[in-house]
Amino acid sequence: MRMLRVGRWITGIGLVLLAAVYVRALAFTPVERFQGPAQKIFYVHVPAAWCAMLAMGLVGVAGILYLLLKDPRFDRFGEASAEVGTAFSMVMLTTGPIWAKPIWGTWWTWDARLTLTLFLFLLFIGYLVLRGAVTEPGLRARYSAVLGICGLGLLPFIHLSVYLFRTLHPQPIVLKPSAPSLPGPMLVTLLMSFGVFTLLYVGFVVQRYAFSYLREQLEAAGGDVGHA
Amino acid sequence: MPETVPANAGYMVAAYTAAALILVGYAVLLYRRTRKL
Repeated sequence: MRMLRVGRWITGIGLVLLAAVYVRALAFTPVERFQGPAQKIFYVHVPAAWCAMLAMGLVGVAGILYLLLKDPRFDRFGEASAEVGTAFSMVMLTTGPIWAKPIWGTWWTWDARLTLTLFLFLLFIGYLVLRGAVTEPGLRARYSAVLGICGLGLLPFIHLSVYLFRTLHPQPIVLKPSAPSLPGPMLVTLLMSFGVFTLLYVGFVVQRYAFSYLREQLEAAGGDVGHA
Repeated sequence: MPETVPANAGYMVAAYTAAALILVGYAVLLYRRTRKL
């Protein structure tokens, strides 16, 4: 299937470029003098958080479009985006505490931003568990769409939580009304990482979408296909 | 301003390793699942 091959190519290119981002971030980007080398975790943590939020946003948009148009492609896309978003959430939730330990002195604190991002991860898991539990396709798509829309509603609270509540988490330095507050070389590395993570998101989603489509075709043809 | 830069490169290495394992692991998982079809 052409879509599957395209997805594999995009993912392959994304992984090669990820290696390039690693080299640039670790070897050619200056060390921040207050936080030390641990600050470089920023270049994987922030883009992973961006992709997790992008994934949930698109799950929500796909949910709205499914409820309006009843087109199964939106349901398939929502499933693909949710699974990929789970992977990026895992990156966000592992790199965040590893960064927090040397800077804040603790792996985790139950403040608004961290708790809401954990909630985002649990929403992804809940979405996937829900899809595994409901066997009737129409009902599964409807329930999933509603849960995806709830996830979309969570995103503004995550972004604004650092303004609305007292939190240890730093405020945005790029996605804010004024200009990014980063020195040039750091900003270039961050923007490269944003691009590569987004490319990986696209590659993963295209592959995952193609997988769902092929599985449905095989099921329709009477083949025995596991719901892995 | 700190006199010396904090020595915490181990955390950086751990985070980059974890991120690579998750992303490459998921890419391999996807590849294997689609190959089985």
